[in-house]
Amino acid sequence: MKNIYSEKLVSWYFLSPILFIHFFVIALPSILSLALCFTDWNGFGKIQFIGFQNFTELFDDRVFKIAVWHNFIWTIFFLTVPIAIALLGAFILTGVKRFQLVYRFIFFFPYILASVVNCLIWKYLFHPKHGLHTFFEDLGINFFQNSLLTQKETSLLAVGFVDAWHFWGFLVVIYITAMYQVDDTLYEAAEIEGASKWQKFRYVTFPSIRPMFVFSILIIMIWSVPAFDYVYILTGGGPAYSSEVLANYLHFQAFRNMNVGYASAIGALMFIYVFIITGIFGLLRRLEWEF
Amino acid sequence: MIANPRLRKLPIANHVILTILALSIVLPIAILFFNSIKPRAEIGLNPLGFPNEIRFENYYDAFVKANYADVFLNSFILVAGTLLVCIPLSGLAAFSLAILKSGKKLTATVGLYLLVGLSIPAQLYILPLFILWKFLHLNNSFIGLIIIYSALNAPFAVFLIRSYMVQLPAELFEAARVEGANNFQLFLKIAVPLSWPVFLTSSLVVGLAVWNEFLFAVTFIYDDSIKPISTILFSFSDRYKNDYTLVSASAVMMALPMVILFILFQRNFIVGLTSGSMKS
Amino acid sequence: MLKNNIKILSLLIGLTTLLMPAIGHTKTVITWWNYSNEGSGLNNALKEEIEDRFNASQSEIELQIIFKGEDVNGPTRTALLAGAGPDIITSSGSTYVRAYYDGGFLKSLEPYAQKYGWKEKILPWAYNLGVFDGEFYSFPQNYESMIYFYNKTLFEENGWKLPTNLTEYENLAAEIKSKNMHPFAYGSSGWQPTHEHLAGNYFNTFAGPDNVYKALVGEKKWTDTEFVEALELLKKHMMDGYWSGSLENYYANDWDGFSAQITNREAAMMQIGTWGFEIMEGFKGSGDDWDWAPLTILSEDAGEPNYQLSIGGTMSINAASKNPDAAAEVLNWIISDKNRVLDFTAKRNYGEWLLPLKYEESDFSPSVDQRIRDYLVDFAKATGNGNYGYTTWTFYPANAGTHIWKDMESVWAGDISVVEFLAEQQKLWDKARDANELIPVGKR
Repeated sequence: MKNIYSEKLVSWYFLSPILFIHFFVIALPSILSLALCFTDWNGFGKIQFIGFQNFTELFDDRVFKIAVWHNFIWTIFFLTVPIAIALLGAFILTGVKRFQLVYRFIFFFPYILASVVNCLIWKYLFHPKHGLHTFFEDLGINFFQNSLLTQKETSLLAVGFVDAWHFWGFLVVIYITAMYQVDDTLYEAAEIEGASKWQKFRYVTFPSIRPMFVFSILIIMIWSVPAFDYVYILTGGGPAYSSEVLANYLHFQAFRNMNVGYASAIGALMFIYVFIITGIFGLLRRLEWEF
Repeated sequence: MIANPRLRKLPIANHVILTILALSIVLPIAILFFNSIKPRAEIGLNPLGFPNEIRFENYYDAFVKANYADVFLNSFILVAGTLLVCIPLSGLAAFSLAILKSGKKLTATVGLYLLVGLSIPAQLYILPLFILWKFLHLNNSFIGLIIIYSALNAPFAVFLIRSYMVQLPAELFEAARVEGANNFQLFLKIAVPLSWPVFLTSSLVVGLAVWNEFLFAVTFIYDDSIKPISTILFSFSDRYKNDYTLVSASAVMMALPMVILFILFQRNFIVGLTSGSMKS
Repeated sequence: MLKNNIKILSLLIGLTTLLMPAIGHTKTVITWWNYSNEGSGLNNALKEEIEDRFNASQSEIELQIIFKGEDVNGPTRTALLAGAGPDIITSSGSTYVRAYYDGGFLKSLEPYAQKYGWKEKILPWAYNLGVFDGEFYSFPQNYESMIYFYNKTLFEENGWKLPTNLTEYENLAAEIKSKNMHPFAYGSSGWQPTHEHLAGNYFNTFAGPDNVYKALVGEKKWTDTEFVEALELLKKHMMDGYWSGSLENYYANDWDGFSAQITNREAAMMQIGTWGFEIMEGFKGSGDDWDWAPLTILSEDAGEPNYQLSIGGTMSINAASKNPDAAAEVLNWIISDKNRVLDFTAKRNYGEWLLPLKYEESDFSPSVDQRIRDYLVDFAKATGNGNYGYTTWTFYPANAGTHIWKDMESVWAGDISVVEFLAEQQKLWDKARDANELIPVGKR
């Protein structure tokens, strides 16, 4: 009995250093932040409790609503385009023997590059004076005449494109890992029944990789909320808030307008959303297991 | 191991699609590289093509102008410092969760705690953390940022290392225990030597994350003399925004160390980055 | 294994030496963060003319000017929030520095102002803009105003005249556009707040300084028709491509870009602050000649041609500074010698570092460009007669001062109407007024 007790204590000794650091950096400030969202604090000076005023102002805030909408579009974009391309790439890649590792290497490559570097590449390519425009101009096509990043119709998707460009190779790798675990006999059976390529994908490949697919949807839904780097570096949220997202707006309110309480309220809502998403997926998983 | 035999019949169509996808990645990166070795005047005439005249001095110019000798050292200190703090401590925690088997409940609780921590958007806590660091005088210092990076990467490292350690044969530890080894010796003498591949993998992935990190670096460090490369490159590209050759050379220099590591340890990176996030 | 240990050891040694503050300075070090503009040679000029000369002038204090990129306000704000930052804080105008004051980040300069007699040396309107709640906090580093620059040769060739009312203004713009040129060179890439220059111009030349004054002190609302009409007009002209041909081009164009536009005949005119004198250097190689003029008055409400008062840069002392006395000595050294000030601002073509001191005609050397001298003299005369207006970055409280340019893009994008925009402005003004965060405005 005593042995188990001390064993438990030892486990804690081993766990505590990293948990201590983690608590100080993430948990404690998060709790503080949840408290700050009921105040009008500006980062210095007096802290005044103002109840839910930040939230009522937030729901009245034009830019906040735009940002929420953009985060929604951003999520939908990432749930469709990169996933579709990655599924296609991974599916084809499983059937290719030659150069497979080379392709995988290339697809994954941008994922290890820093956001600053990726943004530099695409800022240059979108620039009307020397980017893709010059290439199309030589072909006589008037394409990309203005940078997609400075036009309000395209700026959000252009930023999303750059982020997705660096990200989809990651999806390829996790899909391909799952696809290799599919039982070959299933394909052979499908072959015998004369299934088309699409049917094989639909009825053999896809069901087998479904857990991984669900997982990728989950991480995209979670990662889409705090999307920041690419927006901040490429457009700063402009022009006219056309690429504004929650994280960038929070950053602006906190570090530029010094509205710490207000910014915390935005952060709290972001957290609640992520928490709900994680909860729903957790629940789905549990239900699935029980069935 | 060909998952889909019928696809072999259409190799050309497949290779066309794959080639297009690959080119969409290779070409933009190639253009960055070409620009980094062009004379400045050539950018206007030949913005996308291979340079007519190769000028490697761009690298030297950028290296001197951005004071990269110091900047690289700063980034290196941050990476090394984070690895020194994060990996051993995560290893200890993973060992505790995987080997000491202190009960499923504890494992599940710690796992859940780290998972919730992972899903909190950084923007929620970055401000209070900033204020907290101000009171602890950790702002604008390597130590302050190293602690932050260690915490940010800890869940990933713990999950990854644990998933490796649970596969180690339990008999080894039992045998050592019978011979009188204590828990810490079990960790140091058995668990670590046996699971060095996962330590390598997690070090590579954490090192990459620290090298590339932007948000915390830009917020917590405001003296140019101790800024890491990601924020320096950001301000450098603003400062010399009309000289793409210099900016491109800087960008290539920033990417290079990680690219070399990626080429050498491709498998570790890919497995680490993908399975790490899956485990968590 | 040994090798690794040595590596780790040397790393740790490296770490500690880097983390330890430098020891052994006998001089008092005073740091100063400034924005940088390497293209125009600002950095070198500041190093040579201020840092080196000050350091050579005495042996107690070592001044270090550190350049923080094009926007010094962002890094400064973050550092101040963290309880750090330089001894001498610079900002882009009263609006910016007021926020630092509200945060309690600034040391009162009142004792130094009395000790060194700054009030007697600085122009009263400029001095008063640095007085918050009765004490002097912000030292005006530059005074500036919004004017026209134009390609004189081009105007003569085409028989164009500077407009004197709205009809002429619009006709001239149409005429210039028909020659495939832009009426005005400008762009906001790199410095988004250029939008507020245009907003301020239309407020002061269309709604008029009297109305702007009333709104500043709270006797009028920003949603009143004059202001609505002014911004509607600005929007119309923006959509007509007055600046750089189109809204997109205007957003994409930066300092180097619009400097090139005005000097190489892509554009005929430019509405910019007097810091634009610097750009006129570019005409030297072009064969064309340039001149300046006050902005056109666009409506009867606006009265006589006016110059907008503006402090385009401020210096203050950090409340957390360990050596405020030494920092004040630096500030005093800068203004103590009028000739040195004029020498330095001459190097910047009078666009920057024109400290608002009480100059007299005789202070200007004959080598000064006649056009610049005319401006300086005319500015003093016109503002002395009460013909002055107000720039947004000098007279607006912090949040309204950000909103006026950041959210202007939403107006131009058609996302919100001018009325909605100005209603948001008014709300921010009311909030700042309640919180006592307004910039002092001298009685008109």
